[in-house]
Amino acid sequence: MPAAVVMDKAALPLDGGWGWMVVLGAHISIGFAYATPKALSIFFKEIQGDLMSSYSDIAWISSIMLAVMYAGGPVSSALVNRYGSRPIVMLGGLMCGMSMVTASFGSSIVYLYLCIGVIGGCGLALNLNASLTIISKYFHARRPLANGLAMAGSPVFLCFLAPLNQFLLERFGWRGSLLILGALMLNCCVAGALMRPVLTPTQKKLKEQTNGSTTIKDCHIKNVKQFLDFTFFKDRGFVIYLIGNIMFIFGAYAPIVFLSAYAVSQGVDEYYAAYLLSIMGFVDMFIRPGTGLIANSKWIRPRVQYFFSFAMVFNGICHLLCPLITSYPLLVVYAVFFGVGFGMVFALIFECLMDLMGNQRFPSAVGLVTIIECVPMLLGPPAAGKSQCTVTKVVLKTIC
Amino acid sequence: MSAPCMHPSCLLLLLLVVCRHAHTNLVSVTENTTVTTEPPVETLSPITPPVAPLTPLQTGQKSVVLTGENHTEKVEVVNPVTLNLECVWTGDNKRLPNITGYWTKDGKTIESSYSNTQLQNDRYYLRKEFSIMSEEDLGTYSCIFGPKAKVDFILAAPYLGEMRDKPIVSYVGDSVVMICKMDEKKSKPINWNWYKHNGTSKEKIEVDSPGHRYKITKDEKKTKLVVHNLTESDSGVYFCGAVYGIGTSMGHMQLRVITYFEPLKPFLGILVEVLVLVAVILLYEKTGSKKENQSGPEGNPDQTSNLSHGENAVADGHSGTARQRKV
Repeated sequence: MPAAVVMDKAALPLDGGWGWMVVLGAHISIGFAYATPKALSIFFKEIQGDLMSSYSDIAWISSIMLAVMYAGGPVSSALVNRYGSRPIVMLGGLMCGMSMVTASFGSSIVYLYLCIGVIGGCGLALNLNASLTIISKYFHARRPLANGLAMAGSPVFLCFLAPLNQFLLERFGWRGSLLILGALMLNCCVAGALMRPVLTPTQKKLKEQTNGSTTIKDCHIKNVKQFLDFTFFKDRGFVIYLIGNIMFIFGAYAPIVFLSAYAVSQGVDEYYAAYLLSIMGFVDMFIRPGTGLIANSKWIRPRVQYFFSFAMVFNGICHLLCPLITSYPLLVVYAVFFGVGFGMVFALIFECLMDLMGNQRFPSAVGLVTIIECVPMLLGPPAAGKSQCTVTKVVLKTIC
Repeated sequence: MSAPCMHPSCLLLLLLVVCRHAHTNLVSVTENTTVTTEPPVETLSPITPPVAPLTPLQTGQKSVVLTGENHTEKVEVVNPVTLNLECVWTGDNKRLPNITGYWTKDGKTIESSYSNTQLQNDRYYLRKEFSIMSEEDLGTYSCIFGPKAKVDFILAAPYLGEMRDKPIVSYVGDSVVMICKMDEKKSKPINWNWYKHNGTSKEKIEVDSPGHRYKITKDEKKTKLVVHNLTESDSGVYFCGAVYGIGTSMGHMQLRVITYFEPLKPFLGILVEVLVLVAVILLYEKTGSKKENQSGPEGNPDQTSNLSHGENAVADGHSGTARQRKV
């Protein structure tokens, strides 16, 4: 039920109404942001053959895209603070679309690194940050649910993009597929159009009264301070959140990378081993909104940080038990639990940050968090590969 | 061994035995040497000695013990060879002392191959020697015990590794790389050839054809065909052949050359959809806010107005640092 907007004091977030359209927009935007780097790997074999380079060189495209997406966080936060979410998501969508279209004409690997990796990554960075910010502006009472629904975009879009990419590859080759994928990413502009900006009535009056010049100057000064606000490190909660996240992300992506290989080493057919990841993704799709719903309940909401810790521990225990599993049915069960754990963590990861930092500081905080998370995300899977260990680290995190 | 004798035919036989044993590579499983069971050579005259083959002809041996009713054995043949195939059958419940066995090639019975086999050491044996000289001699050879048991020997040149079954798609003016690989474990071919199917037959691709559009690289177990400046007529089926002493092993793949217009159509379609949706959403918002302005500020609680600065200090000041725990 939409909360009534009271005009004479600070307006509370809508918690409904147009907010659900905003959640849809965020869902699309976040979906493209997380799914695209993974779904692109379907094209790599073809590109590798045509450009005559090694597979690891080609795989760098995804890594660069993810790295730039996370590293672009602070810039994205600053822009969102200045201009709001809508223009930024639309700009992000345009950049992503353009990056894919120009990449389809590429004939060297470095060209692809620049187009898809750098420009595409920047576009996705703008999308991600702006989508998360606008959810915090539109929702308060139902924010965990809204976050869960928006973050569910990642497995949904991966589920949708993977077979689509395969089909496009067979019909049009990798160049045509990148062209069409670019057009699809322009749908982020539609998502941006849905993200109607929010203004409280007092701010509207302020705009009408002044001629605008002094307020803009104040705005600039404030935004420079907010760009990379290192005062966040004074906040104990923030630091603990950051450390816990770094440890989690270092270990979280390795099982995804190695799950099929581990299954094959246990004697499972390659085709069935690939199914395991699909199972995990499918479960993830439903767990994220489900977790949001649970986190929204009146027993969990005040203790959402503990719920987040529980989710991380659950993940860790799941992976610790993995080496005991040797048969395919048990591997399926493991994949299901993995999906549950992974979904729970990612549904809550930004909700907890919003809870910790509050609406005003969230955009800058998320920019800082993503640029720092960039490092473990890139180092995690190769490090796990080097140590040849299928057990991932257990992450324990407590919030006071 | 036969006792030395001075009779011409005896000398001839001795000469044959010596030549034969000189060329045998593998040990024969059977205890009886092939010499004693082989019929005497009648085609050669006593005066001229037998002509030894120019390259040493290898002999090979393949033996299969059949316990059930059927078995299939793949035999890789690389060079011309004289192959001894042997089938050993453990028999069925009846244990007849004599069974008729015969050989077939590609389903057709070899007339001279009928023989009665006797139960020896509780097994039935069928043996035959085949000369595999060229590609026509390759195929499926089967030994059949009465109506009951059968062993198929599939004689073929080494198969090519996994071939791509989906067509390769490329664009006009672009270049494409086609690769054929032989498995690591199999023997390497003498040469590689590339052919293009031109409607009726395979036409060999020469590197120095007009236009210099083709480039063929040959490694030991891998070959690449690069075609530059593709045109639509380059579409079709391409064959790569691994040349061995016995024949050529073929693999095929399909190439499709399309113009940029093909993916452009869905691209433009999606672009139009995006523009339409964005226009609809923004128009809806504009008409919604116009209604609000007309009806005054105490309007629809669902409406919001526009400013996008982060000046939420007034709104969020109280919640900037406090945790939002109240639902």
